[in-house]
Amino acid sequence: MAVLMVIVPVYLLVKYSISDIGSINTGGAAIPLWPENPTLRSYAYLFTDHNFYQVILNSVIVAFSTVLLSMIIGVPAAYFLGRYRIPGRRMVLLGIISVRLFPDIVSVIPITEFFIHTGLHQTFTGVILSHTLLALPYVIFIGIGAFESIPVDLEQQAWVLGASRYQTFLKILMPLAIPGLAAAAIYTFLLSWDEFIFAYYIVFGRQELFTMTLYLNGIKHAAPQNLLAAISVCLSVPVVLFSFLVQRYMIAGISTGSVK
Amino acid sequence: MADLILRSITKKFGNTTVISKLDLSVKSGEFVTLLGPSGCGKTTLLRMIAGLETIEEGELIIGGKKYNNIPSQKRRIAMVFQSYALFPHMSVMQNIIFGLKINKVKAEVIQQKLAWVIPLLRLDGLEKRLPREISGGQRQRVALARALVLDPDVLLLDEPLSNLDTALRETAVEELKRIHRHVGKTIIYVTHNQVEAMTMSERIALINNGHIEQYDKPKVIYDNPKTVFSAEFIGSPPINLVNGEICVQKHYSGVKTEIGFLKLDRERTGKIAEMDGKKVLVGIRPQSIYYIEHLAQRRHTDTHIFLTVELVENLGDRSLVVGRCGDGPIVRFIMTREEDILPERKMTVFVDGRRIHLFDPVTRLNIFRENDTI
Amino acid sequence: MIFSFFGKLSEWIKRAWPLIPATLYLSGFQIVVFVYLGTLSLSDQARNIDFPSIQPIVELFSDKYFRQALLNTFLFTLVGTPLELLSGLFLALLLYQSFFLRGFIRSIFLIPLAIPALVTAMLLYILFDYPGGHINHLLIGNYPPLPAILDQPINWRGSAFFAMGISLLGKVWRDMPISMLILLAGLNSIDPELFDAAKTMGASLRKRIFSIMLPLIIPAISTVLLLRTVEMWKEFIFPYILAGRYRLLGTLIDFYYYDVGNSHKAAAVAMIMVLCILVSTFLILRTMDLLQKAAFKR
Repeated sequence: MAVLMVIVPVYLLVKYSISDIGSINTGGAAIPLWPENPTLRSYAYLFTDHNFYQVILNSVIVAFSTVLLSMIIGVPAAYFLGRYRIPGRRMVLLGIISVRLFPDIVSVIPITEFFIHTGLHQTFTGVILSHTLLALPYVIFIGIGAFESIPVDLEQQAWVLGASRYQTFLKILMPLAIPGLAAAAIYTFLLSWDEFIFAYYIVFGRQELFTMTLYLNGIKHAAPQNLLAAISVCLSVPVVLFSFLVQRYMIAGISTGSVK
Repeated sequence: MADLILRSITKKFGNTTVISKLDLSVKSGEFVTLLGPSGCGKTTLLRMIAGLETIEEGELIIGGKKYNNIPSQKRRIAMVFQSYALFPHMSVMQNIIFGLKINKVKAEVIQQKLAWVIPLLRLDGLEKRLPREISGGQRQRVALARALVLDPDVLLLDEPLSNLDTALRETAVEELKRIHRHVGKTIIYVTHNQVEAMTMSERIALINNGHIEQYDKPKVIYDNPKTVFSAEFIGSPPINLVNGEICVQKHYSGVKTEIGFLKLDRERTGKIAEMDGKKVLVGIRPQSIYYIEHLAQRRHTDTHIFLTVELVENLGDRSLVVGRCGDGPIVRFIMTREEDILPERKMTVFVDGRRIHLFDPVTRLNIFRENDTI
Repeated sequence: MIFSFFGKLSEWIKRAWPLIPATLYLSGFQIVVFVYLGTLSLSDQARNIDFPSIQPIVELFSDKYFRQALLNTFLFTLVGTPLELLSGLFLALLLYQSFFLRGFIRSIFLIPLAIPALVTAMLLYILFDYPGGHINHLLIGNYPPLPAILDQPINWRGSAFFAMGISLLGKVWRDMPISMLILLAGLNSIDPELFDAAKTMGASLRKRIFSIMLPLIIPAISTVLLLRTVEMWKEFIFPYILAGRYRLLGTLIDFYYYDVGNSHKAAAVAMIMVLCILVSTFLILRTMDLLQKAAFKR
């Protein structure tokens, strides 16, 4: 258990370094566990910087649109796969998952070329489309899980009582599936929020379209450390927060699949 | 093979005391069962003997040696678990010789032991199979074989039969008895099934809430239960319990109860001479109540009671009749199935005076055994 | 015949219409990827090599940048995968043993995964700055009473060894929780009574770990090795931020695409990367299979 104590400080140290909002870089005196003069000056600077606001807005727009698009495409597919057993179901599932088996850096080259040819290069749309590509498999899988956990009896009961397919879907299935779908939505949002590779390649060159990740990368040579740290924190906060909440779904997914 | 003594054992889990000042002594080569309901502490006791639980207070002495602080690995005990705990990635043979290889036993000796234990437990031909490839009964025998080859001083068995279906269980019971006779080791057996305990053990330790209610030969516990708990736990169908009051009279003494006046046998009449008016709990086994056609055939120490039949259960060759005495309590008794008994029938049945057990309602002790120690 | 095909098809579409958009979207992009990757890597317009030709790929092997990157990535994978396995195992064992606050500790252990990779990389970028990052200050002894280990700060990003080193550090640290979760699931699937039984038969802790625990988590171990190897081969973010000048296959692709401006070469490297992944997957599956068979003693 004493060994545990070794691990935790490492993490905490990391956390401290991030909140490096003081003047530590100028070689503070003692062991750097806490900045000399903790200030929120970096954050203040960020929040008054017009560029920064633009960047946050960009990230939000992209992430939000990604969620929208992936849910629109993915939820019906998840519903279908979760309720009906079609022949070749396994193959379909395998095919969906195989999209994620390709390394990001490998797929990004052809897709960027494709976007250049179709004029989607350096547009938000391009980024949104590629993020949706990344998120769709997860949305479908999580969605299947959500729909599968609703007993078929409920649907059938609604039909018996005279409801049409659509009504059943809207009034009975959706409310029950919402928690699972919400998890999928949150996961997608975070995926897009953190995404670097595709955004970097597709938006290359047009600074005003940069998402947070790109902004951070762009100024890493120029900006002082505490600013970088502050931006990093802004970038991480939503993720860490939601991760704690959505943890259960993710763990279940990883553990059940891997052990025979 | 060795003696085993538990002295003043106490065990706490957090703030709950599970076992309190328990004493038990097992003779070398004896087959003792720890019997009791779920949660009474019997498995905890077994695990303490095995070294899988710590002994906080008290002493464990095996073969004259104090075992409290000896780690499980070094104890000369072997244990068979309820789930058998066979290593799934090892064959039957590998499972059996696992312990021997750890103790660096020579190859020839290992072969000898295998040649002895495999036929003994009828595992011939299964040596190379994996646990998932053999049946439940076979797995149980492998677990037993694995324990036996270690030649332990004490063999511990934790409900080894509970995962077998009834038919297999009876065969297994016979086999265990046979092996015990053959091998002669000290065996401590844990179960909640009284039938197993009664058939196999030389002595039974009845455990309730972490203390021993009675520790005797099976027959003694049955015939002479020390506490209400003993009377209730052992014996099937369950014992009848009614409230009563001792009534000492000139010619015959007995107990005045809700179901009638019950005479006591002559031997014990003397012992209750001073107890007139004492309130007691009366225990009568269904087997001690009988029905005969002619009054004349009864024993003169037996009393009769009247009851109305409520329902009859068919037990195969016998019937269990449940009757009610007037407005009072229900009474169960056994009958041979010579005629069909129908509900609503009024019957007169006889109670065997020699087999009435009297308990103090407060101490729950058999009033004739109040001064006994275990 | 064609009519019946179309008939069946429209039947299908009517029934399976919710599935259509997703299928089209995903397969569409997959096709794009395959087509472009194929055409790009097997041709080179700038040098008038028409499709299809293996030449661009073959030429890669005489390119010193490529050979270096291939070697680097190979070493990266070779060192990184066992590290991830061991660190994951360490954490999993810790969690397995802990009785109280288990959920809380697990949440803490999952933090590295929650933080975006880019942020972790930036963090290391800041910490290992030259000449003035925290780590350098620590090593030089600017923080008494901790002693000075070196008298010159290290240029972390300036040397191949150190740059790859910190990239590896970041990657392993970030992905530890995944290995941990998989291994923990494996550990939890072992019946605890097996360890009890082994104890009563005289097995020491060492024996219990090596004869009982490890053989029974081989499936989990192979899953980890497989997933992590693939991850190592395709790593981009950490080397990009921390080892700019010392290329791995991932950053090499970026180099060819942007710095050199040759999308064909980039695609060719991408193909090689996929190939490496396939080969390693195959090798690992084979080895683990053999290991599994060996573990089941008969």
